Amino acid sequence: MVRFENVTFRYDAGPYVLRDLSFHLRPGSFHFVLGASGAGKSSLLQLMYLWQRPSGGAISLFGRDVGELSRQDKAVMRRRIGVVFQDFRLLDHLSALENVALPLRVAGRRNSSLDEHVVELLSWVGLGDHIHALPPTLSGGQQQRVAIARAVIARPSLLLADEPTGNVDDRLALRLLYLFEELNKMGTTVVIATHNEQLVERFPHPVIRLAGSDNMISGGTRRTAGAGR
Amino acid sequence: MIVGRRDVPLDNDASARFLPWLIGFMVYLAALALAAAIAVSNLTERWDKGLSDQVTVQVPPDIESDGGQDARVQAVLEVLRGKVGVVRARPVEPARMRELLEPWLGSQAATGDLPLPSLIAVTVDRGDPPDLDALRAELREAAPGATLDDHQRTLGRLLEIAHSLQLLAMLVVALIAGAAVVTVVFVTRTGLAVHRQVIELLHLIGARDGYVASQFQRHALRLGLAGGVAGLALAAATLFGLSKVFESGGEAAVIPDLSLSPLQWAILGATPVAAALVAMLTARFTVLRTLARLS
Repeated sequence: MVRFENVTFRYDAGPYVLRDLSFHLRPGSFHFVLGASGAGKSSLLQLMYLWQRPSGGAISLFGRDVGELSRQDKAVMRRRIGVVFQDFRLLDHLSALENVALPLRVAGRRNSSLDEHVVELLSWVGLGDHIHALPPTLSGGQQQRVAIARAVIARPSLLLADEPTGNVDDRLALRLLYLFEELNKMGTTVVIATHNEQLVERFPHPVIRLAGSDNMISGGTRRTAGAGR
Repeated sequence: MIVGRRDVPLDNDASARFLPWLIGFMVYLAALALAAAIAVSNLTERWDKGLSDQVTVQVPPDIESDGGQDARVQAVLEVLRGKVGVVRARPVEPARMRELLEPWLGSQAATGDLPLPSLIAVTVDRGDPPDLDALRAELREAAPGATLDDHQRTLGRLLEIAHSLQLLAMLVVALIAGAAVVTVVFVTRTGLAVHRQVIELLHLIGARDGYVASQFQRHALRLGLAGGVAGLALAAATLFGLSKVFESGGEAAVIPDLSLSPLQWAILGATPVAAALVAMLTARFTVLRTLARLS
């Protein structure tokens, strides 16, 4: 599903953010990426959702070397990846419903039953009464749930979430993680980047631990992450 | 319910306000230039058609004898009427000639004191015209000094001027189209810069460049059409006003006829559609080119 081989990454000529990172995430797996702020969690996810190119090494997604993908191929591949961004990245001029439906529209799926599906999902994340609300009128937690709904609406094969519990209380954080587990049980490969070690310890999933630019993988809380280095 | 607002909020941009005005102004100018080209084309066609079967024979005045001029004109008429290929030969009445000359020679021409040449209007068979050079020689024999003017020199010069005017009008249309393209390119690039984050997000959730381009091209098409229709309406009003002014001025023989045929109106009517299509294609091409450079 996701394979990193000796991947290094840095922004332009800056210091290395990730160095010599190798792992393999199998289809249907659930991983946490744990690390302090600035450890490279977001950069790692950006490499996974094809927003950055590695400075060295090779990445393959869904069995394809991403270095060989054309711009249009990347667009198609991104439709199989759902992303929950740390800053949500909702479109302020679109309602919650329209934001969530965006991946479906982009993929050219326009039949009317989608409406029902989107409303159902918004209700499931507790926003049934806010489907027509614009993001600026929603709280941080509500915006986060819209972002999560948008990431999962197209049933992605790979779900990446960058600090998805950063703006919600512990109870809701747990609920969201259970939601991710549900998706994982349906076959979606899930990668969640977080700095919340206590939360991670409550789940029996492997951890990719980022500890600065030297040695990236330090095992897991319960199990080691993927194939390791 | 889902397909409502546009993903890229281009309607909120300043371009959404000023682009229709710009395109409207450009379509207004282009429509007037096009109408001018069409009117000149109508005029040249009229001249061409009107003069292609007409020749004029001029018999210089005989100032030495009183009754000699009539005899010279009769001799010329006899030559003309006996010629194969001449449909009709008719002397221009002296009163009509004085009327024609009055604007240039003043009222003195109307007194009849001024010795004037006699003119004979000749209609020739377009399908089987006479040999004009041979006819000229025969006319000179019948009435020394008689000349035949087939108007080709004057007509050629007029057609040359008319074609130059048409070219100029088309050049103006081309320049306006060029200005419209540059404007739309600028507006589109500005839109891409302003909405960079939205476009990034669309790409992140799997949008192809074509999807992003479609947002911009629909926007440009809509604005182009709105501005274009307004510009055309103004141009039509201007042309209508001008045609009324010319009609009342009685200069119809010289000034191009501004009453256009239905087909010519249809061509003018296509101006906003053409402007909108140019705007749409320019926007699409600009977006695709700009995004391709990002990869």
